[in-house]
Amino acid sequence: MRKHRSNGFWPALRGNRKAMTGAVILLVFTLVAAFPGLFTSVRDPNALLSPPSLQPSGAHWLGTTSLGQDIYAQLVYGTRQSLIIAVVAGAFATVLSVLIGVSAAYLGGVFDDLLSMLTNVMLVIPAFPLIIILSKYAGKGSLTVMLAVLVATGWSYGANQLRAQALSLRNRDFLESARVRGERRGYIIVFEVLPTMTSLIVANFLGAALYSVLSAAGLQFLGLGDPNSSSWGTMLYWSQNQQALLTGSPLWSLAPGLCVALLGAAFALINYAFDEIGNPALRPVRTNARTRVKTVKKRGQRVQRAESQ
Amino acid sequence: MRFLLRRLGFFLLTLWAALTLNFFIPRFMPGSPELALRDRTRGKVSPAALEQMLASFGFKPHQNLFDQYLAYLGDMVTGHWGLSIGQNLGEPVTTIIGQALPWTLGLVGLTTVMAFVLGTLIGTVAGWRRGGRLDGILPPVFVVTSALPYFWVALVLIMVFSVWTGGWLPGDNTYDNTIIPGPSPGFVTSVLQHALLPAATLLITSIGGWILTMRNNMITTLAEDYIRMGRAKGLSNRRIMYGYAARNAILPNLSGFAMSLGFVISGAILIEYVFNYQGLGYLLYNAVQNVDYPLMQVLFMLFTVAVLVAVLACDLATVWLDPRARAKG
Amino acid sequence: MRRTRLAAVALAIGLAATACTSTQRTTDKPSGSSTAANNGPHKQGGTVTISNEQGQTWPCQFNPFNPSVYLESNGFVYEPLVFVNALNNQAETPMLATGYQWNADKTQIVFTVRSGVKWNDGQAFTADDVAFTFNLMKRVPATDTYALWTGAGLKSVTAAGDKVTMTFKQNAQTYFFSFADQVGIVPQHIFGSGAAAANPATWADPNPVGTGPFTVSPCTPNNIQYTANPSYWQAGKPYIQKIEYPAYLDNGPANLDLASGKAQWGSQFIPGIKNLYLAKSSDNHTWSPPMLNVSLWPNNDPSHKATSTLAVRQALAAAIDRSQVAAIGEGGQEPPANQSGVVAPTFQNYYDSAAVAAAGYDKPDPSKAAQLLASAGYSPSNPLKLTVITITGYTDWDASLAVIKQQLKPLGIDLTIDDLAQQTFNAKLFNGNYDLAYYGLQTGGPTPYYELRELLASANTAPIGQQANSNFERYKNPAVDALFAQYATASPDQQVGIIKQIEASMINDVPVIPITESVDWFQYNTKDLAGWPTPQDPYAQPAAFNFPDAEQVLLHIYSKSAQ
Repeated sequence: MRKHRSNGFWPALRGNRKAMTGAVILLVFTLVAAFPGLFTSVRDPNALLSPPSLQPSGAHWLGTTSLGQDIYAQLVYGTRQSLIIAVVAGAFATVLSVLIGVSAAYLGGVFDDLLSMLTNVMLVIPAFPLIIILSKYAGKGSLTVMLAVLVATGWSYGANQLRAQALSLRNRDFLESARVRGERRGYIIVFEVLPTMTSLIVANFLGAALYSVLSAAGLQFLGLGDPNSSSWGTMLYWSQNQQALLTGSPLWSLAPGLCVALLGAAFALINYAFDEIGNPALRPVRTNARTRVKTVKKRGQRVQRAESQ
Repeated sequence: MRFLLRRLGFFLLTLWAALTLNFFIPRFMPGSPELALRDRTRGKVSPAALEQMLASFGFKPHQNLFDQYLAYLGDMVTGHWGLSIGQNLGEPVTTIIGQALPWTLGLVGLTTVMAFVLGTLIGTVAGWRRGGRLDGILPPVFVVTSALPYFWVALVLIMVFSVWTGGWLPGDNTYDNTIIPGPSPGFVTSVLQHALLPAATLLITSIGGWILTMRNNMITTLAEDYIRMGRAKGLSNRRIMYGYAARNAILPNLSGFAMSLGFVISGAILIEYVFNYQGLGYLLYNAVQNVDYPLMQVLFMLFTVAVLVAVLACDLATVWLDPRARAKG
Repeated sequence: MRRTRLAAVALAIGLAATACTSTQRTTDKPSGSSTAANNGPHKQGGTVTISNEQGQTWPCQFNPFNPSVYLESNGFVYEPLVFVNALNNQAETPMLATGYQWNADKTQIVFTVRSGVKWNDGQAFTADDVAFTFNLMKRVPATDTYALWTGAGLKSVTAAGDKVTMTFKQNAQTYFFSFADQVGIVPQHIFGSGAAAANPATWADPNPVGTGPFTVSPCTPNNIQYTANPSYWQAGKPYIQKIEYPAYLDNGPANLDLASGKAQWGSQFIPGIKNLYLAKSSDNHTWSPPMLNVSLWPNNDPSHKATSTLAVRQALAAAIDRSQVAAIGEGGQEPPANQSGVVAPTFQNYYDSAAVAAAGYDKPDPSKAAQLLASAGYSPSNPLKLTVITITGYTDWDASLAVIKQQLKPLGIDLTIDDLAQQTFNAKLFNGNYDLAYYGLQTGGPTPYYELRELLASANTAPIGQQANSNFERYKNPAVDALFAQYATASPDQQVGIIKQIEASMINDVPVIPITESVDWFQYNTKDLAGWPTPQDPYAQPAAFNFPDAEQVLLHIYSKSAQ
């Protein structure tokens, strides 16, 4: 089963136009984040180098802020933090989901009751208000604080899904045979169960990353981040405070927002493509051909939850 | 019965967890309402007077924390929600919330229902006409719209419809300030105008999820045997589409819909913030900014209760509709 | 839950079902009498709309003792005894008191209360009301917002006939501004009974009864409308018959309304004011007089090694190009400050510019700063690392600090900007738990004495770890304290001399480094309204958030079209 997946998966992904679009966007942002120096000649994006509020020109592609910073350079240097938040918060939240969801399913009994209760409580408590309260009181929105808050509020959805899938796998033949072989429970979980759940885990990571990108940008936009950091959300905060839309520098606001939207879209597109690959019935078709499939994962709802805050 | 008790237990436990979080988070963090208020009054008021003033509003920082906690739990449950110690110093929390609640329910509530209904309809058609022109464009478009940041869509809409057009549509406030609120056509028009852009923002960003899930559910359902059976029996396409396929495809979405109704009253904080729409989300943002413990606590409790009630209602409906769930309990 | 849902439904039905009643706009209401003025030089009529962003809707409370709402009642409805003009050499305008008499050592003052004044509910205003107001502050300390009974040494307030006698423990001249100008007098027949008497500090006071030129009618969460008080004691005034005070939640729309002329009296920061406001109409004007300093506060306590070193503070004061900070950080809308601590040109006659120049602080001097730093053992190769705390959300301060950081970098000072939530910032500042802070005091007075006293008097400081009142930098100098004590009993000319001696300490000891001068934001539209305060006629502080100054503005402005 594992082999089958790893062989069939990536080619399928390569053939999927949505996945490729998302992957290309992600790749471009990754390059920019890794080597910002290649994309702009400005070395300190927060330096007050130029006359304030310039319109876009050859020297300043997107103009300058009302303080005289180059907007394009800020955009380039802001990529790194936004991407780090997405990947790190997404990864940690996913790890937490796996740990809690899969252990709940395999330990069973009281552990399962307690862990799923915890998961359900976290799922129901409105996350974005909680994030606002938490990050406000953490004093200042340093990167670590923001990551911690996002992970703490972002794992429960995935844990719930993973627990459900792990439960359904529990009595499958190949696990039964492993148990008969006398393997330890830890071994079974790591080497037999997790690989079969790869697709769901990756999908969860993508969902958690999307959630983190949007929430972090929203927090920084509200002024709950560090206003001296370089990130898209911080740019949005400054431009909103300086009323960029009204004072004739709309790009100061629109450009970083567009980048957040693109990064979010990249994660969402890849995630959706995963759904299509995992569920062939959903693949785009030219004819009315129908394929029989029994299960549909409702992954679209993840997006809804991230946004409905 | 056992199922119901379990759910009720869950309800109480979650409520308690939320209340407890809510009580302890602000109190373990630096800062105090006294300092916040001192700043808001431009330092004109002596610290001693401020402290006494806050005490007369029911803020007692010197009491034992555990006593405060017990009193707080009691007050929350019995509806003694106290007086605001934030911007509206001295105003009852219930009054403040009462003023904001209708705006959020109206804007976010109606838009949520609208997004669900519209999204489901479009999703049904898209799923039915699989591979058609509509189905070719819709999924990628809505995958993207559902990943857009709320506040950015709001900014773009304000830019286009308010700034560029010289104030064609208002991008701020709940109604024109110069109108005295009352049952008059001018007031109603003004309220609707002011709701247009925030509602559009919500709709654009939330409809995609419903369309996509409905489309996918439709496609799966259409592959079921009973649909083939219907076709074989020669039922009209219309009948199959709405009477059989859509009816079944919508079921998994209902619980999601219930949840999102629960999230209505926590509103769309970012949207209310961008549009200065004075609903509950806007209120929460301000309460947090002003260290207004009483208001913050009650809002967060209400947000949680709303979701819990929605979940509970959904559970009850499931039990009522589906005998299997009862047996499982 | 059910209840609220029903309420919402009812609201929706109410909205839909009443399509035939007419829309009432606040401006549609029959405006008060447009009759000719009785005595005044101007006829009555017209409306002024104030744009002063609050970030909240109105609670429709007007208790003059509640600091979160008193800006909307003091000056509009409640009046002080005497108006003292901080912009014009403490010029006094008698209001509810026609005059006053100090005793020789200024420990007792006798006010003569104006006769013929009526509360806006028709009852007569008497000396008893004045005595009641001050005695209420003794009975309920929460209403004693200026610490008159605790800080100023007030001992007793009694009324007899039309005289009110206030007796103090010590010379109270420097508190005159607080008790005569800042306290709004309230009616005994309202605040002396019922809910108001039970909780005078928290009572809502939804329909304020005052002696002032305006009454509240009506107030909604989105707008306060004030109408002229027809029985106001200054016959023929106010000229303006109505005030609209919309609740603005955000600067953006508030600024748009000002630019379009929909609001005529602005009191907030407008970014890029030239394009956004002034260029929109030749009737749009701005004049924002500086009142206080925004400063870099070094921690003078020896426990903070670098910032308690005089050479380091001198280097900072010499290195920073204040004009550039003002031009970029504040967009040129706040003037640069000077090291004397006296806000110029507002308090020009106190300002010792020669002393500032003699000390070399009249222009930035990076080479001198570098020498000073070297004497303290720092250089670009051995940089001094300092963290400056500031408040999240004050983006102009963030920008100013970014400029300062850039200016200090080549000298070998590595500045880290630490943005803190307001409460966190305050806790650190008040307790002295910081190296450098960027901050401005928010209260001054009619002379520089008030800000300097808050800034430098050792009575206003506290040991590290305890809350200081206003001397957050922990500066202690007995000589300066003695000067403050002398000031209270000195003649006006001597007072100028004393202030200049205090300025010398600011220049020599550099306890605080003023960077820019914070202003009273003021924009005004002259299309229909005239009589605004101007630099030529600074009859009151012009921002709508100043009380009781706002009352003076409201008594001066008039509508051109009504003439």
